[in-house]
Amino acid sequence: MWAYIVRRCAVGLALLLALTLVTFALFFASPVDPARFACGKNCSEQQRDQARKALGYDKPVYEQWGNFVKGVVVGRDFPADPELRAAAPEVVTHCEAPCLGYSHLNARTVNELVKDAAPVSISLAVVALVMWLIGGVLFGILAAVTKGSFMDRGIVGLTLVAYAFPTFFIAVFFLKYLAVKWQVMPYPAYTSIEEGGIAAWMLNLLMPSFTLALVFMAGYVRMTRAFVLESMTEDYIRTARAKGLQGRKVLFKHGLRAALTPLVTMVGLDFAALLAGAIITESVFAYPGLGLLTVQASAAYDLPTIIGVVILAGSFVILANIIVDISYAFIDPRVRLG
Amino acid sequence: MGIKLRRSVAASAAAVLGLSLMAACGGDGTTDEGPESETSTAGGTLKVLQHFPYEASDPQRIYYGVQLAWYRRLIYRGLLAFPMSEDPEEATTPVPDLATDTGTSSEEGRVWSFTLKDGVKWEDGTDITCEDVQYGTSRVFANDLITGGPNYTLSYIDVEDYPGPYKATPAQQQAFEEAVSCDGKTITFRFNKPWADFPQAIAGMMMTDPYKESFDEGAKSQWKVLSNGPYKVEGGVWEKNKGATLVRNPEYDPATDDPETLRLALPDQIDYQIDPSETSGELFNDRLITDAPDVQNAITTARVVPSQFAQLEGPVLDRYLNVESPYTQYLTPNFNRLKDVKVRQALAVALDLDGYVKALGGDKAAAPAESIVNPSVSGYQPNPAFDGDNSGDPEAAKALLEEAGVEMPYPIKLAYPASPTADKAMAVIKEGWDAAGFDVTLEGQGDTYYDVISRPDDDFDVSWAGWGADWPSMMTVLPPLFDSRPNFSPTTCGQDYGCYESDEFESLVDQAANSATVEEQTSFLQEADVVLGEEVAYIPLDTSKFNWLWGSKITGFTTTAASSSYPEIGLIGVTE
Amino acid sequence: MEAFLTVDDLKVHFPTVDGVVKATDGLSFGLARGKTLGIVGESGSGKSVSSSAILGLHRGTNAVVSGEIRLDGNNLLALSDEEMRMRRGKEVAMIFQDPLSSLHPYFTIGNQIAEAYLVHHKVSKSAARTRVVEMLDRVGIPQADRRLNDYPHQFSGGMRQRAMIAMALINDPSLVIADEPTTALDVTVQAQILDLLQDLQRDFNTAIILITHDLGVVAEMADDVLVMYAGRAVEYGPCKEILTHPEMPYTWGLLSSAPDLTASTSGRLLPIPGTPPSLLNPPSGCPFHPRCTHRDKVPGDLCRTTLPELLPGHHREDHTKRCHLADPDTVFRTEILPNLAPELVEESS
Repeated sequence: MWAYIVRRCAVGLALLLALTLVTFALFFASPVDPARFACGKNCSEQQRDQARKALGYDKPVYEQWGNFVKGVVVGRDFPADPELRAAAPEVVTHCEAPCLGYSHLNARTVNELVKDAAPVSISLAVVALVMWLIGGVLFGILAAVTKGSFMDRGIVGLTLVAYAFPTFFIAVFFLKYLAVKWQVMPYPAYTSIEEGGIAAWMLNLLMPSFTLALVFMAGYVRMTRAFVLESMTEDYIRTARAKGLQGRKVLFKHGLRAALTPLVTMVGLDFAALLAGAIITESVFAYPGLGLLTVQASAAYDLPTIIGVVILAGSFVILANIIVDISYAFIDPRVRLG
Repeated sequence: MGIKLRRSVAASAAAVLGLSLMAACGGDGTTDEGPESETSTAGGTLKVLQHFPYEASDPQRIYYGVQLAWYRRLIYRGLLAFPMSEDPEEATTPVPDLATDTGTSSEEGRVWSFTLKDGVKWEDGTDITCEDVQYGTSRVFANDLITGGPNYTLSYIDVEDYPGPYKATPAQQQAFEEAVSCDGKTITFRFNKPWADFPQAIAGMMMTDPYKESFDEGAKSQWKVLSNGPYKVEGGVWEKNKGATLVRNPEYDPATDDPETLRLALPDQIDYQIDPSETSGELFNDRLITDAPDVQNAITTARVVPSQFAQLEGPVLDRYLNVESPYTQYLTPNFNRLKDVKVRQALAVALDLDGYVKALGGDKAAAPAESIVNPSVSGYQPNPAFDGDNSGDPEAAKALLEEAGVEMPYPIKLAYPASPTADKAMAVIKEGWDAAGFDVTLEGQGDTYYDVISRPDDDFDVSWAGWGADWPSMMTVLPPLFDSRPNFSPTTCGQDYGCYESDEFESLVDQAANSATVEEQTSFLQEADVVLGEEVAYIPLDTSKFNWLWGSKITGFTTTAASSSYPEIGLIGVTE
Repeated sequence: MEAFLTVDDLKVHFPTVDGVVKATDGLSFGLARGKTLGIVGESGSGKSVSSSAILGLHRGTNAVVSGEIRLDGNNLLALSDEEMRMRRGKEVAMIFQDPLSSLHPYFTIGNQIAEAYLVHHKVSKSAARTRVVEMLDRVGIPQADRRLNDYPHQFSGGMRQRAMIAMALINDPSLVIADEPTTALDVTVQAQILDLLQDLQRDFNTAIILITHDLGVVAEMADDVLVMYAGRAVEYGPCKEILTHPEMPYTWGLLSSAPDLTASTSGRLLPIPGTPPSLLNPPSGCPFHPRCTHRDKVPGDLCRTTLPELLPGHHREDHTKRCHLADPDTVFRTEILPNLAPELVEESS
């Protein structure tokens, strides 16, 4: 098992490395000159070169990538221009390993940006996860056990509605009506637990998390329903009934155990993807998480931040995959890691 | 684009939701003039609802018009400033702020001197010195660290190869300090060419604002604020996506200032609340429309969008203002393709500007423009080529095309940044032109619009564009947009999107640039605009109008040319 | 002989949008304690549906079950769901065809067997465990006290079926329904499992319903045989009688397709031509007539128009069959018998 985990992590690291390379390549394939973007108009060619040097964009792509990787391993100093660092030590920012880079746009290291933004995205994702898991699984089971009934049709119909409306629409609807027009909910603004305590944190998360959870919930209702219905036709369910087990025990012990196992994979991957920031939800609710960070960085061609977030997102997904695989070894006795 | 304007969300969220009850057309009693100044009282807390994040709070890195205007009133005083006057002429004429007068020029505008007032202080209690102004000016040259701000001074200040104060060798620094020199409290700027409108340039922008060297950490100073105005930022740091709380700066002495003209500073506290979401602007105004308790003491940077116009009725109108903005939109004919002036004239003559403005949302959203120069720029006059009827005359246009002897229908590709409103408005233009004998294809473009239309080899016949002057001088309108020399390079026509090139125009620009006085400069540029009109280098479209709402506890709400038609924060107070 | 189980006119109908599927349509039989009834037929003939009805497994579905199932004097169909559940697994137990899919992959063998015991006995978990070990031991699982912690996939096919048998017998049921218990197993294991069943039957005096499509298995195990076709009994009687004097062409077909239990059977398997009939729209008359190679021996259109009654045959009163043939004995002797597997021939002579 340990050998397996080590091997998977090694593959994951290689994947991440490739990911950074691809991101670098994609960025430099774009026609926009980041130095021109940073320097603004009235910048002469020579002044633009000065900006390019400070940003480190004067070096060839592979060298920039090499410096990036080096920064991850041992840390780095910014700005990238060594003469500038030597001449004016007060402007130097040290970025500890694992250094994800330095955002010129925000004049902060990507590590700091991520450290500020990650709790927001994680809060959103965790609360949304709890909502959609509880809602999705409960309603999914309810629909499955009442298959064909009014209840079942109602639930399935509602999931279609939830699917049909884009997240953007739902978010704006909530804001416009619940928060502004009817004022049944406070206008949400992210409040950390240190700032406002658990209650304020939670209250402010309700609307954005629910928005985020809704479309997932719809998916999980349908998946749970399908998985439960499928598992309830399995031979071992017939065996359980033939033993004389009570109906609910058949459903909850034998049926759900098998039906919910595939959900572990989905939950792991969906949650990991969300950790890297829910772009639409964070943008509409102005939650300063990784999604909003990404949007702002993309608009300003802030490569280091984009790469930092890409790596973080990649690590989350890779890590989630490993965790899901390992947890299967505990959930499903037939699975052996090797 | 010139001075930065935050573009409103193209497809308003309400339109997406289909919530707007009706398209609002036509005005009712709402007028352009602001409310009579109510009795303004000091004290209370003003809330500023901002729908976009700033890019920096370092004075030398600020380029947003509203941010420059507001910071000037609140935290960063400059050598000069624009007065808080509703009279555009007055509001675009600089007055002394940190300096004792509006400066002395010599050598035909090549040398400018200013003397600092006594008793002006930073929030840490230290005096603002001439060296601080010198240092602030030098920072703009550090293109590697101090980026994003306006940097006109780079091409004027008489120094070569100066990399900014961080990296400069002693010799380079010495050369700069000769070009921008201090003698006691007097600072002298030496330029390599005349700069007649330098006072206007520095009254609004912060290229020559003082900066305290010991406070400077290069790029790390991006969000640090060392105030010298009536307020200071609590904690000293502006939070990009959250904002800041501004409290009274005890080191600020109104006696060194002219509060009636430059900053009343009425509220005791100002809470900036930034919500950088796509929909926040519209939602701020939704809240202001209902006058929700938490926004009664609020103003906002977000303008009312056309889909909300229908809700502007009844008591809401007491808290509503519709004003012309400093932003003008225009069409540029592509001179590489439309070489016959009669064809370009036909386009101008056939343009249904009234219909176009109606499609933009009516007279609340825009006003027909008669020059590319915005009315808030000093020296504005309607361009005779575009004077008069705005409903378009297809017959006259057809006659022009026949005169030109071109085959009809004459194909035209019209490029513009696509959005639901723009699609609708451009369709009106197409209709008028088609009726005149053109065959118009609309080419809605995406995010990289300005890069696309800058290309000399693009196959668009006409492109849409917009402009706001960096300071209220025609020098910041005509040369940046139509002088081929700073714009052209092998790969791009720069901001001269139509690739227009004219010796007559450029010689007038040179004469204007070399003028020693603003008056002389203005008359050359007015002449230059006439040349542009005769050659149809542009066709003016509209001047955007801004629609403002504020909470019921706000007093003194108005807009001025000095505030870029945004709320004039220096006059605003709150009642309890 | 007092019948311990009597099934009378059992019907299991499934209403569908296309019509009613009559999976079992008027089935009657009886079974005494300690005896074995073999129910034979192709897939879809209604064997499994009928036996599921005895366990009440159709409850909670849309199946319509009618008739009477009397176990030890009680009509099972008249019981409430809860009363039926209490009997399920306790008085009537079932052994399923594919032990791998019939055992839950996520629970240990011990857990699953103990569960069957605990649901009907108020005892501690450790007592149940002791009982499980005892049963696993009894069905021949070595080191039962350790193996009960294994998961189904860690058992071989034969061991899994032994575990299933242990699970079925743990509550001393008086009736066990074994639904093709050996189909999924290889031949040598098949014999062991059948031996085990017989041993246990002797020890516990259990009545067994053995569902199979294999007459060879029936020959070894059953006291009585019920041949089903299209939801109905087509031939029913004592095992020896049916195997030696079958009077129904479908039974002949089954005999001809039965593999030899002892020898290689290549070349001797004669599958019944045609496919099993649709239960939604069964053929008119005798449901077997479209596949019957002997229907021209019956005068007129009788096979196509008239469903034959289940009537006593030519040899004994307790041997009944549904067939219009006037002299099935002769046809069997001259046309069928010479082609049968030696073992069956031996028993038939």
